Amino acid sequence: MKLTRRGFFKIAGATGAAAAASRSDPAAASPPPEDPYGCLVDLTRCIGCRKCEDACNRVNGLPPPERPFEDPTVLNRLRRPDERAFTVVNRYFPGQLDASNQLVPTFVKIQCMHCQEPACASACIVGALTKKENGTVHYDVTRCIGCRYCMVACPFEIPAYEYHDPITPRVMKCTFCFERISKEGGLPGCAEICPTEAITFGRRKTLLEVARKRIGENPARYLDRIYGEKEVGGTSWMYISAVPFEKLGFIDVPDKPTPKLAETIQHTLFSYLWSPIVLYGLLGGIMWTSRKNRPESEDEEGDRR
Amino acid sequence: MIKAFPPGAPARLLVVLMVLIWAVPALAAGTPEADELALDPNWKAPDQEDARERAKEVVPFIEAVVDECQLCRQQRLRDVGLGIKDITHSYFLLESPIIKQRENHYGPVRFMHTKHAAAIQDCAVCHHARPADKAAKETVRCSACHQESFRSDHPERIGLKAAYHQQCIDCHRTEAKGPVDCVGCHPKNVPDHKELVKLPANPAPWDVTAECLRCHASAGEDMLATSHWLWRGHSAYTLDRQKHVMHGKGTTAINNF
Repeated sequence: MKLTRRGFFKIAGATGAAAAASRSDPAAASPPPEDPYGCLVDLTRCIGCRKCEDACNRVNGLPPPERPFEDPTVLNRLRRPDERAFTVVNRYFPGQLDASNQLVPTFVKIQCMHCQEPACASACIVGALTKKENGTVHYDVTRCIGCRYCMVACPFEIPAYEYHDPITPRVMKCTFCFERISKEGGLPGCAEICPTEAITFGRRKTLLEVARKRIGENPARYLDRIYGEKEVGGTSWMYISAVPFEKLGFIDVPDKPTPKLAETIQHTLFSYLWSPIVLYGLLGGIMWTSRKNRPESEDEEGDRR
Repeated sequence: MIKAFPPGAPARLLVVLMVLIWAVPALAAGTPEADELALDPNWKAPDQEDARERAKEVVPFIEAVVDECQLCRQQRLRDVGLGIKDITHSYFLLESPIIKQRENHYGPVRFMHTKHAAAIQDCAVCHHARPADKAAKETVRCSACHQESFRSDHPERIGLKAAYHQQCIDCHRTEAKGPVDCVGCHPKNVPDHKELVKLPANPAPWDVTAECLRCHASAGEDMLATSHWLWRGHSAYTLDRQKHVMHGKGTTAINNF
């Protein structure tokens, strides 16, 4: 086996870069929090009042909306969360009719799902996005370099970017009211204001029990599915509904955590730096054998020169 | 906004009525003049004040309730003989400190207890569970079971604010009766009318009506379609009024202003 000088540097360079990349991402290696907070959104309870949007705007100091929160025509078109609104409520008409033959609306609140194993945090090369013990997927603006890999990675297409701000743009997404819920008895702004408790705040484990209990006690009202229980490895925000989630704009995601494949490859290859050690060992072995097999005359000639 | 009435006897009746209306409070009050009494800034409606005081109370939390179906509950209430006659408070202001300590964006909702009870004729719709404690009363106020939201010791129990909203909105929807929007029940933030209202020193009743209509013209139009204008006596649904003769403002009594 012949190994050219150029080929050797190619391999060495690539290996080194990959090793460095795997170590610069400490969050991705950490396991999901054991007892995180979460929110259970009961779509059968939501009345579409958009108070959650109002409260979110207020507690996060976001810019005033283009149309007032009381304006019901806003619901006439489907929206996505953006850099000016961390959460939006959309209205769907899944086809059900009420007693007076009117279509029954279902309202869906969208925000960051705060995944147990967030793809954005895994993709973030500087550790600006981290999964906290209380369940929050937290964004640290001082670390962010604006690469927007998180926006590409997110399976729910949530993070938005302040493209209008050329000097200090930020990635904008729901904060799960990190500061508020870190305090004793603190609640996310949206959960606190919700008039019908369509948003239930609590420990994720408790919420799963509550959700199962609600479904079990009223099987005619709910579908037997908790969106977010298993999706992408589980999320802190979860939904129960009377209408199939596919009809309500929910993204069909696999149960496997999104970062699983990439992280498995990385962590398998570079745990304890075994692969570079093996590689360099192998190369050293090749060098050693090739030197040993070289005729002595060549060495002597080289010395003389 | 004087309702048209035929000349003659009713007009005379009006004069008599007006004299009565003005004379009675003056006599009852004794020394102060009638118009002085009407403008007393310290006067407060006693039932409103009573309701306001009651709204401040926080009763002990009820941990456990009897687990029974709605039909069982209905039948048991009927067996016990509980009904509209047992109502102790007919009027409530929904202004609990349990809610206000968290959020305080709207004024209190005024809840007509007896009116709702008379329309529904089924206590179990709202009083849907009884305390497990045998000694407790059969029906308790909403805030006995529903207090703070998201209690970790009772995660399945909804908070008081959600209990009100779910109960009211669900029922108003299914009955297609009653408001389902925010300001239908909650009063808006009303500006101080002391500066807005401009009246002569000794206003006649119609001066007051005209001054109100200056800004609230549409409210005046609406008023003509309400039972306040077309009232024909006690509703036949009101307890013990089933056999009363109808003689409201829509028939023989006169709307004066």
